[in-house]
Amino acid sequence: MKQFIYGLLLFVFLTLPPVATLLESIMIIHMHLQMPLLIFSGFLMARFFKVRFPAFFYKWNRNGIPGILLFSIILVYWMIPRTMDEALTVYASEIFKFISLPFLAGIPLRDSWRKLGSVSKNIVFLIFIILFILMGWLFIGVDDQICNNYLRVDQITLGWGYVTLAACMIIYIVQLIFGDQSEFE
Amino acid sequence: MKELSALSLQQKTIKALGVNTKDAKISLSYLSVAFATLLIGGILGLVQGLQRAGLLELPPWLNYYQVLTAHGILLLLVFSTTFTIGYQYANLSHSLGGLLPKVRKLAWSGFSLMIIGVILVVTMIVLNEASVLYTFYPPLAAHPIFYVGLVFVVLGILACCFGVFINYRHWRKTHPGQTTPLLAFFAMGVFVLWFFASIGVTIEVLTLIPWSMGIVETTNVMVDRTLFWWFGHTLVNIWYLVATSAWYVIVPKIIGGRHFNEKLIRLVVILLVILNIPGGFHHQIIDPAISESIKFLHVFMSLSIAVPSLMTAFAMFAVFERAGRKKGGKGLLGWITKLPWGDVRFLAPMIAMISFIPGGAGGIVNTSNQMNQVIHNTMWVVGHFHVTVGMSVVMTFFGICYWLIPYLTKRKLTPQMNRLGVIQTIIWTVGMILMAGSQHLVGLLGDPRRTSFTTYGDHPRALSWIPYEYVMGIGASLLLLGVIIQVYAVINMMFFAPKGETTFPVAEPEDNALPAPMWTERWGLWSVLLLMVVAMAYVVPIVDMIVNAPPGSPPIKTW
Repeated sequence: MKQFIYGLLLFVFLTLPPVATLLESIMIIHMHLQMPLLIFSGFLMARFFKVRFPAFFYKWNRNGIPGILLFSIILVYWMIPRTMDEALTVYASEIFKFISLPFLAGIPLRDSWRKLGSVSKNIVFLIFIILFILMGWLFIGVDDQICNNYLRVDQITLGWGYVTLAACMIIYIVQLIFGDQSEFE
Repeated sequence: MKELSALSLQQKTIKALGVNTKDAKISLSYLSVAFATLLIGGILGLVQGLQRAGLLELPPWLNYYQVLTAHGILLLLVFSTTFTIGYQYANLSHSLGGLLPKVRKLAWSGFSLMIIGVILVVTMIVLNEASVLYTFYPPLAAHPIFYVGLVFVVLGILACCFGVFINYRHWRKTHPGQTTPLLAFFAMGVFVLWFFASIGVTIEVLTLIPWSMGIVETTNVMVDRTLFWWFGHTLVNIWYLVATSAWYVIVPKIIGGRHFNEKLIRLVVILLVILNIPGGFHHQIIDPAISESIKFLHVFMSLSIAVPSLMTAFAMFAVFERAGRKKGGKGLLGWITKLPWGDVRFLAPMIAMISFIPGGAGGIVNTSNQMNQVIHNTMWVVGHFHVTVGMSVVMTFFGICYWLIPYLTKRKLTPQMNRLGVIQTIIWTVGMILMAGSQHLVGLLGDPRRTSFTTYGDHPRALSWIPYEYVMGIGASLLLLGVIIQVYAVINMMFFAPKGETTFPVAEPEDNALPAPMWTERWGLWSVLLLMVVAMAYVVPIVDMIVNAPPGSPPIKTW
């Protein structure tokens, strides 16, 4: 229950107009800080929903695959530059962002991650590493302004953000593969 | 239970065999360089302090900025680094049951590389070819050999980092299911941080070498400054982490207490490692080319270090209170009188800890955007790092000497040497309070830092600074006296103190303490989190500095 309250507080904090405006004023902070924090708030709140509706999660997300698919779809959706642009200009889209990321990505991620086997986890990592590298390449390389609301330099910054995140994920995977994880249990 | 018995068996073996002489030689070599450097750096400090107060005119072959560069590099870089390596390798050798032969080789390689590097760097400063101050970032350009010397120093540090990583891995493999001893855990934290800190300065120096040689015409000053502070601020926290290792593990044993909850101690180390590097940005608060919103976000990143620092403050005072009460301390503050104030091994680190209260508060001023505008280029900053480094860190280092050196040389700390140590601690404390205190105050009145003595054409404001500068000079004189006593004590304990047994004071956990959790040993994960925090902090400003770069600066020699 404590986790739910922390998650809810984080969610409420992120929805405060000055906070949202500040975080959305810089492209990379919008995508790589506000959005992950929204997912994290859902991740924390998930505990309450899992305790309250165990049958629902058992019925719809028994092996974790549907949950991780939903998480991936929501994440990929918000990685499309146009959706980020719309969140700033179309009010309904902004509301959808604040609902979809915590509740349709954060909660399923929490429920699915422990249910997934190591192979599925590695596939998820691999997909997102490839996706992040591609997005990085796109944002750094493209000569046009992709988003109406952000400058080209913001785009390049976001591109490098993707590349560094992908690099961190690769290092994480490498140390998982070459290190003996059983020694930490 | 099994873990405890294995640990005590190891302790017994170490006790029976005493210090490993091969490992002791490594530590003693590093410590000898450290204290030789302290003496030279201390003399330069006094020369500088007296010149700054207008009390001493330097001969024509020596200028203020040369002295300032040498003082900074010798004390902030060479003294702190060599002391840290000597002390941390002794900790590692003691807690892991000796160093591996290949780790010893790496430590000696590191020693040789650093000596070569320091000789090159100091030669260039003495020849007046590198009066670029200890921060050595552009547009001031030194002779290329100065930067080559710095590369050698960094390579030496990296050799020592790999030595620690190899020894740690080896121990983990041979001790499955056991958490590493606390001192070895601290050593890992220190050297992981050092490894990642070195990346920034390595990139910077490698870009400066072709620039100073004239192969490349210009350099991006903002990127170089940012990379310097990536390293520079992290180095500050490396010293701090080294000092906390003694506060948490050594000091409780000296006062006859137990160490605090091991899980909290390990969490503090992990947080300091993960959150540290972006703190460098608060050194650049008045730099142009970093937007206000980024500076604002960085205030949070810098201040996050206050969390583990406050955890440390709470934990340490809890340990003192418990130990004092166990010895019969009554009432609200009676336990304070039961602490061993006459023991230099406690007194020096205790004053160091107390000084971290004003030091940390001053740090919060420096980190805050608006307050930094007031003090940024003033003597306040000089006062701040003399309190934090010169007191919190260096006094802890001094306190460590009084048990570490006799332990390594198989000698004893005599009551006379202890008394001398107490006197040295008092002289040092008074000297630092006078010097750093007046630096803080005169900084608030606008006295600039990094400036040779001048009255600005007898401007009344500049003349009003002079009394404070005299106090600085008095403080600096006391500090040199402190340095001389300390170096004498170190030489005495290395070569002349009576032979005998000195124990390595490692505190035990409380009787009912829970074992430390294994997840704290996930250094791979902590390193990835560190990199993610670095990515969050640096991608935005560095891309901006490169994409919107001005033409760049040619090398500039102002002297």
